[in-house]
Amino acid sequence: MFELPPIPAWDGLHPLIVHFPIALLLVAPVFIVLGLVIGRHARLFMTSALVLMVLGTAASYVAVSTGEAAGKLADRTPVVNQVLQHHEELAERVRLTFTVLTIVFAGLLAGPALLKRQLARVPMTVLALLFLGVYGAGAIVLANTAHNGGRLVHELGVRSLMPEAPLPAASADLDD
Amino acid sequence: MTTPRFIRPAALALFVAAIAVVGFGLPGGEAAAAATGKTLDNLNAAFNGESNAHARYLAFATKAGEEGYGEVASLFRAAARAEEIHAANHATVIKKLGGVPKADIQAPDVKSTKENLEAAIKGESYERDTMYPEFLVQARKEGLRDAIETFNFAKSAEAEHATLYTAALANLGALKGSQAKPYFVCTVCGNTTPQMNFEKCPVCFNGKDKYIQVS
Repeated sequence: MFELPPIPAWDGLHPLIVHFPIALLLVAPVFIVLGLVIGRHARLFMTSALVLMVLGTAASYVAVSTGEAAGKLADRTPVVNQVLQHHEELAERVRLTFTVLTIVFAGLLAGPALLKRQLARVPMTVLALLFLGVYGAGAIVLANTAHNGGRLVHELGVRSLMPEAPLPAASADLDD
Repeated sequence: MTTPRFIRPAALALFVAAIAVVGFGLPGGEAAAAATGKTLDNLNAAFNGESNAHARYLAFATKAGEEGYGEVASLFRAAARAEEIHAANHATVIKKLGGVPKADIQAPDVKSTKENLEAAIKGESYERDTMYPEFLVQARKEGLRDAIETFNFAKSAEAEHATLYTAALANLGALKGSQAKPYFVCTVCGNTTPQMNFEKCPVCFNGKDKYIQVS
C-alpha cells in the first residue's frame, strides 16, 4: 500500500541530508577527470561537475544547520561533546572550503567566455589539475567530517529524534 | 506539445510548500507532543533545583571570599550565573507547555569553603549522573524537543561545574589568598569555562560573543 513517510523536524533531517554533500562533492571531481580524459565532451563533463558542486555545497549548508539543531538534542557525555565539537568544526571547514572551490571552478568555466578569450588546452589542463589537487585536500576534510559523524552514530550511539510512526503491519506471509 | 502556463508556478508553489512543511517540522514540533506529561513536573523540579543552586552558590561565593579563596568565590559566582540561565531556560519551556514556573527558595546551608565545595560536587554529580539523564529519557519519550534541549544544556554545564569544583577542592590549599579569577559563562546554555579556546560554544554552537565574563 502507498504510504507517505513521516515528515521529520529540522533536526531530524540531519541523518538524511548529510549524505548529499558527501555523495555529490566526492563524485564531482570524477566528472572533471572525465572531462580531461575525454576531450570531446569536456564542456558537458565540466558543467556537470559544477552542478554537482553547487548542489553539494548547498547541501553542506543545510547539513551544518540541521546538524547544529540535532546536536543540541543529542545525548551528551564528555566523549560525545569532544567528538561532536570536532565534527562541527570540520563541517564548517567543509562548507567554507567547498564554497570557495565551487566559486573558483565556476570562474574557471565562465572566465574564458566572459573574457572572450579561450585558454589553450595545456594551461587549461594544468589549471584543472591544480584545482583537483586542492579539491583533494577538501575531500579529505569532507571524509574526516563524515567519519566523525559516523563515530557519533555507530560508536557512541548518538541518535536524532525521529518522528513517531506506526510499526508496519506484519505481512500475511510472515503470519502463515 | 507546450506546457500549460500554470504548471510552472504550481510546481514551484508545491516545492516551496514542501520545503516549508519540512523546515518548520509541523508534525514533529512541540505542539504535537503531549504537554501534560511527566516532563512538565520534571521541568518544574529542575527549575526549583536550579533556582536554589543559584542562591546557594552566591552564598558560597560570599563565604569563600571571606575565607580568602578569591578564585573559588569567582567559580561559585560563575556557576551561580549558569544556574540562573538554566532556571530561565527551564522557565521558558514550562511556560511554553502551559505551566507556571514555581521555585521554593530555601535558605542556603553555608559551611566552610571546603565543605561547600564538597556539597556542590555532590549536587552537580547527582544532576549530571541521575537527575538530568532520567529527565532526558522521559522528555525523549514524550518527544518534547525544547525540554530535551534545556535539560541537555543544563546537564553539560553541571558536568563542567563538577569538574571545576573537583579541581578547586583538590587544589584548595594553594588557592588560599588567591585573587578573583575570570570565568566565562554562555548566556544561552550556561556552559562555564575558565578559557575560551573555541570559536563556537561547544554545547549550544552559538558564537563566543554570547559568553559573558564573571569574576
